[in-house]
Amino acid sequence: MKGVRLVSSLVAAVVIAACGSSSPSGPTDKIIKLGAILSITGAGGVYGPQGRDGMNLAVKQINAAGGISGAKIQLSINDDASDKAQASQLAQKLIQQEKDVALLGPTLSNSAVGAHPVAEKLKTPILAVSTTGIHIVPDCNFPDTTPCKYVFRDSLGEQTAIPANIKSYADDAHPKTGVLLVAQDDKFSSDGGKIVQDTVATYGINLLRTIKFNKAEADLSSYVTIAVKLKPDVIFITSLGGIPAKIMTEARKQNWTGQFLGGNGFNTATVSKQAGANGAGARSASAWYLGNNFNSNAEFVAAYRAEYGADPDQFAAQGYTAIKVLADSAKRANLSFTNIAGDRDKLRAAMESVNIDSPLGPFQFTSTHDVKQTVWVIAMDGQGSFTLVHEIKAS
Amino acid sequence: MDQQIVIAIFIGSIYALFAVGYTLVFGILDILNLAHSAVFMLGAAITYSLVVNYSQSFWVACVLGVAASALMGLVIEHICLRPLRRRRAPPIAALISTIGLALIIVAAIEQGRPGTIFRWLWLDGANSVRFPDGTVPNPTWHVADLTLEASKVAIIPISIVLMLVLGYVMRYTQVGRGLRAVAENPRAAQLLGLDVDRMISLTLIVSSALGGFAGILFGIALGDISPYIGRDYVEVRGLAVIVLGGMGSIPGAVVGGYLLGLIEVLALVVVGSNARAGVAFAALFLMLVLRPQGLFGAQLRDKV
Repeated sequence: MKGVRLVSSLVAAVVIAACGSSSPSGPTDKIIKLGAILSITGAGGVYGPQGRDGMNLAVKQINAAGGISGAKIQLSINDDASDKAQASQLAQKLIQQEKDVALLGPTLSNSAVGAHPVAEKLKTPILAVSTTGIHIVPDCNFPDTTPCKYVFRDSLGEQTAIPANIKSYADDAHPKTGVLLVAQDDKFSSDGGKIVQDTVATYGINLLRTIKFNKAEADLSSYVTIAVKLKPDVIFITSLGGIPAKIMTEARKQNWTGQFLGGNGFNTATVSKQAGANGAGARSASAWYLGNNFNSNAEFVAAYRAEYGADPDQFAAQGYTAIKVLADSAKRANLSFTNIAGDRDKLRAAMESVNIDSPLGPFQFTSTHDVKQTVWVIAMDGQGSFTLVHEIKAS
Repeated sequence: MDQQIVIAIFIGSIYALFAVGYTLVFGILDILNLAHSAVFMLGAAITYSLVVNYSQSFWVACVLGVAASALMGLVIEHICLRPLRRRRAPPIAALISTIGLALIIVAAIEQGRPGTIFRWLWLDGANSVRFPDGTVPNPTWHVADLTLEASKVAIIPISIVLMLVLGYVMRYTQVGRGLRAVAENPRAAQLLGLDVDRMISLTLIVSSALGGFAGILFGIALGDISPYIGRDYVEVRGLAVIVLGGMGSIPGAVVGGYLLGLIEVLALVVVGSNARAGVAFAALFLMLVLRPQGLFGAQLRDKV
């Protein structure tokens, strides 16, 4: 009896662990196998599930419309648990065992530096859907600066987004001083911090202090107290998950009334909701804005609401766009469905010339495989959503 | 600096309340219950779900959250500890089994999203959420240069009263004497007519109820409830606290909790932000070298 109990516990554990995966059923002659590596759990679990939902929606729409020249897309969602080592193991498995023609992800930049070099080495296109750190494209093997041929990105890099956000706020309000609060224990956050440090002086802002912390700090109020005592005009926050919201809440409780500026970590309704009224006005530069009413976005938002009964966010839009990008490329790539290595190369070549309308706006890749798109400066509305502040067109 | 001392006392209270549950089980069983951090998280998560998803008042939800945590204590005893005790497995086996249960509890909450089998338990997956504004009255006072938030201030007396009650029960009541007898020598306690299994179950229930309650206070005061609050924020620090205070000592856990809170905050103010964790654990290392039994622990000796 005890043995049965143990076995059933183990089975339950395996079932729990497997809950994140999904794959369409039903055999078809031609299948385009794609594998997504996303952070469904762990620190990036705030962002990964929305990316997954966006991707699944696009796959469902494309397959319902007859697929790509008759071929159906089969997408597998794989949870890297926000862990770099797990992300690179998954990349290896999806390429070598599952024979996927292209990969998507990972959610976090920290995981991307593990997974992307694997895809590059095994000559398989990988499309980053939400990684915004530095050295993602084209130098995926940094410090080796040889451009990676198989790595693409459809997410707005922080090197573009953070300076755009700081510039737009500096133009509007002419702040003089700032304090940076940066999580030092993940690549996304520390890269963001470095970009802030490198940018502020250009716009006349004196960075009074950089305060580093680790994400595993129960209470951030000690750090916030130090920041608030310096009476800065702006507090910059580069961190993931619920941390920006905690910092905003604490700073407002301490009666600080200045401006919060941040990075991609702000760009999900989850964070805006968690910050609530304390986050009202906090600005970031986003790859996407919910309220944009051009066709490709309006259709996406309506379809997403119909499918999931909730508003999409930037990560859902980027996941959705990634599938559309791969579908458009596959359509033009004349895939053989027999020679996997050849098909991966054809797909890679076709991706370089993609030019579609997406929820992110008109979408192309730059010559370095980075996204070329409009930047939307948005502000938290204090009620769990965002308002549009500025639109900065791609130059 | 004054504000930082207030913060240290507040966070120290959370560490202490969490560590008291840890040390209670260690004191009785000589086993580290590493599922304690998952129970801490579960107490907060269930209370949040009852308030937000089942529209219960906070006070009802809080009672049910603590009850669910206490129940999880029984689960820990019956699944992770008792079967191994029957087989006379070494303490390391129980340590591993509690880690396993902790992983399962965290995974169950992580998977709780609309449409999944755990949706009745939790709907926010890996997200970090907070109680809606107004769940409990939480005014903020500005006294001189200090910012005092009601929910954080309240934690300090609540924790101290709870720990005093526990100390009284352990020292002066029949149950407490029974528990101490089991801690001293389970076999002799059994021969004296004590139901050892029942005593151990009681220990797990009390320890887990305290752990779950600490989680709820944490969620209210810090506005952060996610599947990872136990693992990321208090698990290792709880261990540090009971080592500082003396393994198995309740007063030690209390003093250790406040001491760690103070060391962390002083490290931040004096040394700098990126050295905070390093300084705290350097202090722990020093304690292990200079006084391995901790502040309140008995002299360590090998049991023969």
